[in-house]
Amino acid sequence: MKPKDYRTELEPVWCARCGDFGVLKGLTQALSDLEVPPEKLGVISGIGCSSRLPGYLRAYSFNSIHGRALPIASGLKLSRPELTVVVVGGDGDGFSIGLGHIPHAIRRNVDLTYLVLDNGIYGLTKGQASPTTSVELKQSLGLAGGEERPLNPVFLVLSSGCGFVARAHAGNLPQLREVVREAIRYPGFAFVQILAACATYQPQTYADDLYGRCDPLPAEHDPTDFARACELAVADRFPLGVIYRRPPDQAPAMAGALRWGEAGIWPAPGAGDTTVQPQD
Amino acid sequence: MEIRTETHGAKQGTPAPTPATDSIVLTLVGSGGDGVALLGDLLLRMAAKQGLYGMMVQSYGPQIRGGESAAIVRLAREEIQYEGDATDLLLCFRLSDLARFRGAVRLHDRALTVLESADSGDLPDWLGSSEREPFRFPFAAFENGQEVPGEPKNMLALGLLCRALGWSRDLAAEGLEQRFGNRPALLAKDLAAFYRGYATEGMPALPPLGGHGRPLLVESGNEAVARGAIDAGIRFFAGYPITPSSEIMETLIEELPPRGGRVVQAEDEIASLGMVVGASFGGVPAMTATSGPGLSLMTEMMGLSSMAEIPSVIVDCQRAGPATGMPSRTEQSDLFHAIYGGHGDFPRVVLGVFDVVHARDLMHRAVHVAEAFQLPVLVLSDAYIAQRRQIRDQLTPQEQAPKRRTWTEMDGPARFSLTAHHGVSPFRVPGTPGGTYLAAGIEHTQDGNPSADGTVHQDMNEKRFRKLAAIAVETRQWFRTLGREDAPRGLIAWGSQFGILREWVRLHPEYRVFLPEVLHPFPVAALEAWRRGLEWTAVVELSFQGQLRRLLAGLTDMSQVRGAARSGGLPMSLHELAHLLEEAKA
Ligand SMILES: Cc1ncc(C[n+]2csc(CCOP(=O)(O)OP(=O)(O)O)c2C)c(N)n1
Ligand code: SF4
Ligand SMILES: [Mg+2]
Repeated sequence: MKPKDYRTELEPVWCARCGDFGVLKGLTQALSDLEVPPEKLGVISGIGCSSRLPGYLRAYSFNSIHGRALPIASGLKLSRPELTVVVVGGDGDGFSIGLGHIPHAIRRNVDLTYLVLDNGIYGLTKGQASPTTSVELKQSLGLAGGEERPLNPVFLVLSSGCGFVARAHAGNLPQLREVVREAIRYPGFAFVQILAACATYQPQTYADDLYGRCDPLPAEHDPTDFARACELAVADRFPLGVIYRRPPDQAPAMAGALRWGEAGIWPAPGAGDTTVQPQD
Repeated sequence: MEIRTETHGAKQGTPAPTPATDSIVLTLVGSGGDGVALLGDLLLRMAAKQGLYGMMVQSYGPQIRGGESAAIVRLAREEIQYEGDATDLLLCFRLSDLARFRGAVRLHDRALTVLESADSGDLPDWLGSSEREPFRFPFAAFENGQEVPGEPKNMLALGLLCRALGWSRDLAAEGLEQRFGNRPALLAKDLAAFYRGYATEGMPALPPLGGHGRPLLVESGNEAVARGAIDAGIRFFAGYPITPSSEIMETLIEELPPRGGRVVQAEDEIASLGMVVGASFGGVPAMTATSGPGLSLMTEMMGLSSMAEIPSVIVDCQRAGPATGMPSRTEQSDLFHAIYGGHGDFPRVVLGVFDVVHARDLMHRAVHVAEAFQLPVLVLSDAYIAQRRQIRDQLTPQEQAPKRRTWTEMDGPARFSLTAHHGVSPFRVPGTPGGTYLAAGIEHTQDGNPSADGTVHQDMNEKRFRKLAAIAVETRQWFRTLGREDAPRGLIAWGSQFGILREWVRLHPEYRVFLPEVLHPFPVAALEAWRRGLEWTAVVELSFQGQLRRLLAGLTDMSQVRGAARSGGLPMSLHELAHLLEEAKA
């Protein structure tokens, strides 16, 4: 299937020049590279501009509630291990309201690919500070929480024991495509921070600065080197690529298939139909 | 689709009050380490083996572990759901432990007390008085006035009690062997103490109580919920530990994987229901179990389950609330939350469990309704049912599990079709080619596309609530009545009140009782038919606000109906009910 075949007819509601367009494109390219059949693909999101993305994909998609994509995706993957499950959300969705779920999804090592579209702002609710908004920006825009330091997503997931940690930029499509492809292939929980500018609530200087601070990973980088990965995570620059990749476990946690078909609740997919017939 | 409905006409017209000798209440009091819970459990199992019915409840002092504990065991010739008002036998290893159970234990006037020989003190006045002299037995061993470890007290007591009950020595010993056969050293020690207790002369006999000889089952409310769920087809469970529901997860951890399912201990209750919704989105029947605090956290996700039309089953073992409340105490005060909790208009179904036997049956119906109608179903149990162990008949085969209506290509494109029969549109199971769609908590068109159009919202609400209307038709017989159809006084109650009310109508044939099994949508027509000709009616419940009575006030004329309600804590006794009804009449 071609990348565009993974798109539904729905037109994205995003503003022109929104960074999320690039992510949609890169993700469809990666899915096409991996030849994931749409019916075997689950894409789960929370709420936010970025969380609209599953609606634009041909997949069993779920645009759920704010901050809860990870538990829902975990339930799906743990009960239907044969599906490829991708989780999409924003920085507010993931690192604020939903933060409590991240280390636990990592601990469980459910085989999910978690893409955080980090625009350093609450886009959907019109420009409040998020946990990744810098102090300078908050102060210059007069946002709440000007005294609060931002958190470092990459370092956070590394310290929780995440086996695959990468960073990409929505404006660098070839690299985004490759990183997302690797993340989906990784058997275990994979995290990708995707730097994506909000065209509406971030000043242009933000996007420029973000882009300017991005570097490719040093050619000699050994992604199995945890200590080096941590150093890169706390550096002032934003290296792009697979920062850490632990050799995958033999089998990701709880990967065995359930015997739900035997419950006789409903026929196997597509095999039949039962009708509801209340007595009236 | 076939659905069992119980018309309980046959249960009306209960026989005359049963003579007192038909049941016997044993109260066992000790400290942590005395093993009174094990003693009670062994007595219950031995009773079940000979075809006696009964139940056991436990009561603790303020600390959950290690403090004083009491086990109340009532044995009877027929099924019971209430541990009785007054005890026929009180066995207490240490008089000082009794103080914690003020109000929970009362002596019958012919009650026998069995006390530690070394305890010379008097029984407290609040216990009530018995005409009989206590029987004293040296359970404890002493050295220089200090108690030291000796023979297991509970096994000595087991011997004494089995003999007093007229149970054969071998039958009881067999019960012990079954329980401890895998630990021979322990078994030998326990058996020795048991035999010594059994051989003791002088302990007065208890009124003889024999079973019908066919072995029965012992099960707790939480076990029944877990097993009922598995039988009904649940294959995924996620939960977070909380008193008094934790044993549901613990039972499932042991019993679900061998049946092809999976259990996950989630990081909190939001994640618990989130995982359930995810698994169910994947097509796998899924449920969670919690208590009030957890239900509060699940509220937003409940709305999602309803809005995105993904089945979920949520069991709430109610405890006294709000906030942390009294974790191990029972109450019936989550009714409002279950029915009304959450923002927005959304259909959900709420069922109420009567007892251990009913729990299995109701779990079948809960899974059925959730799966067939693609919405959240809440099952309200409570601490009184969850934590009791009850003797019940052997299982009867349950009906074939219900079906979720799934998509086939002939069904056309709309996952949330507005014209679907009874509002139930075909579910699409991930993995089905050509069936991809967007499920959403955002309002959506019938094709699943996000929409902010008020008419779409109105149409979709109508579609989703059509399911509730269909459920109301299907569940209109989901209630039970007790007592004579023409009795002039009526009591309306729900959940675990079933147990005491069954006994109440036997003692007071002027009363009839109505108990809904489905609380939402409430079987109003049935209630109205039942109440015809009543001279006086009250609602009996463990809720300070009287939540059931207030609920009914919105559904039917309640102007003449009294409330007989109080906050949770200990379950209601017959004695107390009489008092509450007196007050309600005044
Ligand atoms: C429980 C709850 N609280 C608040 C909101 C409002 N809300 C919607 S999206 C959002 C933040 C969005 O920011 P982010 O996750 O970074 O996504 P973005 O729009 O930037 O892509 C908030 C606060 C909500 N939907 N639900
Ligand atoms: S508000 Fe920002 S994040 Fe949202 S769509 Fe517009 S540009 Fe994108
Ligand atoms: Mg954002």
